[in-house]
Amino acid sequence: MAVDLETLDFDQIAKAERRRGKGSWLIMGGALVMSAVWIVPFYYMIISIFKTTPEYAQKHPLALPDGVGPLIDNAVTAWNNAKMGAGLLNSFIYGSIGGALAIFIAALAAYGLTRFDFKGRNLWFMLIFSGTVFPFQMYLIPLFFTYQELGLLNTHLGMLIFYTAICIPFPVLVLRNYMNGLSREMDEAARMDGAREWTVFSRIILPNCLGPMTATFLLQFTWIWNDLLFSTVLANKTEVRSIMAALQVFQGSYSSFGPNVIMTAAIIASLPSLILFIFLRKHFMNGMRISNVG
Amino acid sequence: MKHFIRTFTSAAALSALATVAMADVELLHDKGFWSEALEAVGDASETSTGNRLVQTPYATPEQYKAFVQTSAASGEMPDLFTWWTGGVYEELIASGQVASMDPLWEKMIASGNFDASLRDFYSVDGVAYGIPLHLSRWIALYNTDHFETAGITEPTTWEELNAAAEALKAAGITPFHATTQDGWRGFIWFQEIMIRTNPEAYAGLHDGSVAYDSDAVRNAFQIWSDWYAKGYFTDPRSNDEVGDFAKGEGAIYLIGDWAVGIVEGAGMTAGEDFSAFIMPNADPSLPSSSILEGSPIVMSVSGSENPDAMAALEFFTSVEGANAWAAASGNAIGNANAAAPNAVVEKINADVAANGTIAIGRWWESVPAELQGEIVAEFNRFMLDPTMETAEDVMATVQALNADYWANL
Amino acid sequence: MPKRETDDEILARIGLDTLAATEKHRTRRAFRTAFFFMAPAVAFVSIVLLFPVLYNIYISLTKWRRFSGFDEFAGARNYTRMIDNPFFAEALANTAIWVVASMTLPLAIGLGLAILLRGAPGEGAFKNIIFLPRILAPTVVGVLWFYVYAPDGVLNRALGVATGREVDIGWLYQDNTVTGAIIATFVWQSVGLVMVLILLGLAAIPRDPIEAATVDGARPWQVFRHITLPLLLPTLLVVTILSVLAGFTAFDLLWVMGVPYPGQRTLSLAVFMYFEAFQKGAWAFGSALAVVIGIVVLSVTWVQAAMQARIDRMTK
Repeated sequence: MAVDLETLDFDQIAKAERRRGKGSWLIMGGALVMSAVWIVPFYYMIISIFKTTPEYAQKHPLALPDGVGPLIDNAVTAWNNAKMGAGLLNSFIYGSIGGALAIFIAALAAYGLTRFDFKGRNLWFMLIFSGTVFPFQMYLIPLFFTYQELGLLNTHLGMLIFYTAICIPFPVLVLRNYMNGLSREMDEAARMDGAREWTVFSRIILPNCLGPMTATFLLQFTWIWNDLLFSTVLANKTEVRSIMAALQVFQGSYSSFGPNVIMTAAIIASLPSLILFIFLRKHFMNGMRISNVG
Repeated sequence: MKHFIRTFTSAAALSALATVAMADVELLHDKGFWSEALEAVGDASETSTGNRLVQTPYATPEQYKAFVQTSAASGEMPDLFTWWTGGVYEELIASGQVASMDPLWEKMIASGNFDASLRDFYSVDGVAYGIPLHLSRWIALYNTDHFETAGITEPTTWEELNAAAEALKAAGITPFHATTQDGWRGFIWFQEIMIRTNPEAYAGLHDGSVAYDSDAVRNAFQIWSDWYAKGYFTDPRSNDEVGDFAKGEGAIYLIGDWAVGIVEGAGMTAGEDFSAFIMPNADPSLPSSSILEGSPIVMSVSGSENPDAMAALEFFTSVEGANAWAAASGNAIGNANAAAPNAVVEKINADVAANGTIAIGRWWESVPAELQGEIVAEFNRFMLDPTMETAEDVMATVQALNADYWANL
Repeated sequence: MPKRETDDEILARIGLDTLAATEKHRTRRAFRTAFFFMAPAVAFVSIVLLFPVLYNIYISLTKWRRFSGFDEFAGARNYTRMIDNPFFAEALANTAIWVVASMTLPLAIGLGLAILLRGAPGEGAFKNIIFLPRILAPTVVGVLWFYVYAPDGVLNRALGVATGREVDIGWLYQDNTVTGAIIATFVWQSVGLVMVLILLGLAAIPRDPIEAATVDGARPWQVFRHITLPLLLPTLLVVTILSVLAGFTAFDLLWVMGVPYPGQRTLSLAVFMYFEAFQKGAWAFGSALAVVIGIVVLSVTWVQAAMQARIDRMTK
């Protein structure tokens, strides 16, 4: 279930597509209206963060702000009151460590599943992959109580364990497919030369899988970054909660802060995803090809 | 295993949780808006006793409740934490893990700071299990300027209350504040109209002897609905009740006196910009009364074995502790020798003494714990569409839940 | 130095049994090494994901409420209780609306857009715009639309301009608008991905049969109906299943945007389950609800697998 397919290959589509250039004016007009509907909420969000709370209350929601100055005040208020520093740091820890650990463990498993001939290989794969089959709701109550019992509730370690686990199955699927496509001659040759399995894995296979590993890592990182449910249930204290939980709790306290401040918090919480998307589009594209959809 | 994981957690140094030093006593609570005030009490406790009372907020009341419930289920209730009276209190005590506070109450009463009757408020089957975190009367805060504009004074009878509302309305001021903000406020006016019209039926709602679709309840909804039809209430969809009151949107704000400090924080001065009165009864033969809310601090059995925890509570209930808490949060805990936290509470205390006002338990604490959320959501539903048609539907749904609860007890 | 054995001599000495035994030994050794590599994944998945699923099923068969333990067996009581619960039916009905809406709306809009706009001028820019919401987290989208739908928010203002009088609809406060409003937000966020996936699917369809048919005089609709659509079917299936599962388990949007609605608990089974367990402390009942959600999700996945297999056979 930790499969997030928010990746796309604009360039590839563009290349694969021949420009037909036959769009009628009607379609163009419709597209323009629809684009407007899609853009307005973004426009609204962006202008709101430049307004002070009284300015927001007085003006039409779509009216331009008086200046850009209030942004700093809004950001400081949001940052301090939503405890965004802690939230961002936590989500960054969960996303990077949890995501990286999951990908590494998945690579290990994929290696075991593709490089050795033994009975029941498929069964073992199914066992690991079954971790994506169940809806999240089935994990909540048991994990809550088990974590409570073990003292893992509201700890970074508990969150890391969960995020790592939930992010393993999908990369196993991807990396298994990918490693199956890698020629076995290289590693057989290395084994002939007396290389140990670990050496084969770390020196030959891993370097060859860096592309799909990066792509799946970005997918899993984004998924963890966006998660609200599990942080709400398993870690809802300021010190350990994720950025999305921090944002949701902050929004719940709207009585004390204007929409302009809450919207600023929402934008701050989104900055990392936006930056990732803009700078790593190529890798996201890889993720698209890997996830084998379409 | 548990200890291994705990050790590992701290060894991993991933947890940013402040480690509680040996002499510190942790107080767990769900009232984040009082974090700073509790910090101030912590400072005071450190100077006075050498042990610091460390406040730890736990976000959202439901999460907090779930946390304490599961702690109890695993036999590891926190040492000191805040709770509620009523159904949830009895449930908590039934777990057998809550320590008796009788020894502390003996001292509190002997010191002359506390009235013995207050102990009963925190007792179940004759044993006190909690001490007050705050004791709040539910009163009608009012905007003094608006009252002046409308040419009215504090209403002392039901007729005067209706006349005051009419006068305010005529002056272009919405008389009453009421919102569904944060999801729990729906019961406030229901509770008030019930105790003003039929306190006996109100009491009966809480033991299953009076139905939520009975005539007494229907009558209350009728009054409520009429007031809505007359335009007496502010927009229930507002998300800023306190802010609305501070901005002068409505005139009368029915709320616990714990809100006085919050209203002052929003820019009004207690005693000048706003004051308060005790709501009059519809039935003049009824004694003066007001809702009393008194969240307790409770202590687990394991916490009671920690002398520092007991010392922290002794400080909290002392005159010094009560004053520190009152100054920081605007809350009283019933310590007769402590100063009143603000002018409004002082005024209400005088009114209570003058009228012999009796205390009635709040709906929230009196209703069976597991029905709280569902029923209050139904009241909110009525407020968003305050017709008698919706009221009938709400009464039917609530009574179905209520009947099911009492039938399967 | 021993004399070299001939092949025949070796075979005679070892025997077929031993050969088989060696082979068995070899696979066992292979398994042991493989297991060393798989062990962390297997451990994480079984302890953190699969064990809770079993535990959840167990809890759903007990009487666990609030402070009591869960040692008392309840049989199917938690499941039969759903029938009497006044909110369950509503949550189920809303979930059904979500399933139908998330199955049809993103697909219909995404497919329409993909077909109409494919190759049109400005296609790239349009795609980027429609896809944009997908980059945001659902929580952020929920926060944003919470204010768009506010009584004095953008939507009511826009409607006011369009109708010429003041509009004061509490979109997220009323029975008749709340689900539709949140579904619209869901569509706003998800349609971009659906469209892009369909465009990818369209790009993968070979040109030749389409061009041949066009040369033979087939109309665009016929070409679409008989050539494009069948070839696009696998993509559409995947897209539909993704949308349905996303819609069915939607929580973040409902959690953030549903707060003003008094009936928030009934907005979907996922939300209802959260309320029952974490707010009311009806842990066993909540677990039973989770099992019901699990059964539905597994059925959807199973239907997808079956249909996928059929389509694979058809296209081969």
